[in-house]
Amino acid sequence: MLILTRRPGERVVIGGEVFVTILDVSGQTVRVGIAAPEGIPVYREEIWLAVTEENRAAAEAAGDALGSAPALASIADAAQAGSPPAPGSPTPSPHTPAT
Amino acid sequence: MTESSPSELPTTPQSPPAGGEGASTSPTVVESSRFGVLRVEPDAVIEFPHGLIGLDSRHYTVLDVNPGSGFRWLHSLDDGLLALPIIDPREFFRPFSLELSEEDRELIGAEDPAAAQLYVTVRAAPDPSDIVVNLRAPIAIWQGRGHQVLNAAPGAELQAHLFAFGQ
Repeated sequence: MLILTRRPGERVVIGGEVFVTILDVSGQTVRVGIAAPEGIPVYREEIWLAVTEENRAAAEAAGDALGSAPALASIADAAQAGSPPAPGSPTPSPHTPAT
Repeated sequence: MTESSPSELPTTPQSPPAGGEGASTSPTVVESSRFGVLRVEPDAVIEFPHGLIGLDSRHYTVLDVNPGSGFRWLHSLDDGLLALPIIDPREFFRPFSLELSEEDRELIGAEDPAAAQLYVTVRAAPDPSDIVVNLRAPIAIWQGRGHQVLNAAPGAELQAHLFAFGQ
């Protein structure tokens, strides 16, 4: 890992197109500004890791847990009988497959 | 178990991006591990310039396997093993709030992001009360292009329970 010492206002250039500017240092917190081309999305690491995990889990869980598309759809059919559920509101049990 | 012929699974046609001259007119054929052979017409191909976060595929289509169920599948055209169940959060969560950064708004390309197709991934589970959806990172599709964006709205959880049950 390359380790650099920078002061507020100074920059690091990555690949000639990503500019990281140290904006402010206060105690344990460092504020950085990042200018990157449109083709390079920038995320906080914890968000990137969490969404990556959710995406992979969604792709894997569908096959492992339900086995087939109709199974998932039948759950939706049963649960959606009546009005679509809202967070926090009770809905009919979806354990009975839709006919 | 009965299933319709995989090649007849309905897909969602997309409006092509402006200036799409020279685009292929032949269908993309994908050997799907879940749905068999898929033939996807060019107007149903969705390009994800940055892919989904953490996944490599750049081309997907939306399969409406059970029309009316609310569940669809975002199926990779680059990897026959990769398909994610999705829902339109606006059908299941009322109200559904979307707060995007200026960068994400520009990425989507629609003047009004609400005009884009909007989906969230579904993490399935044997017990329906354990099924969660990712409201934090919705997928917006506009004119044949898709982007997974970050929703800063309060309550937009990474794992929001899809069905609420009485205790």
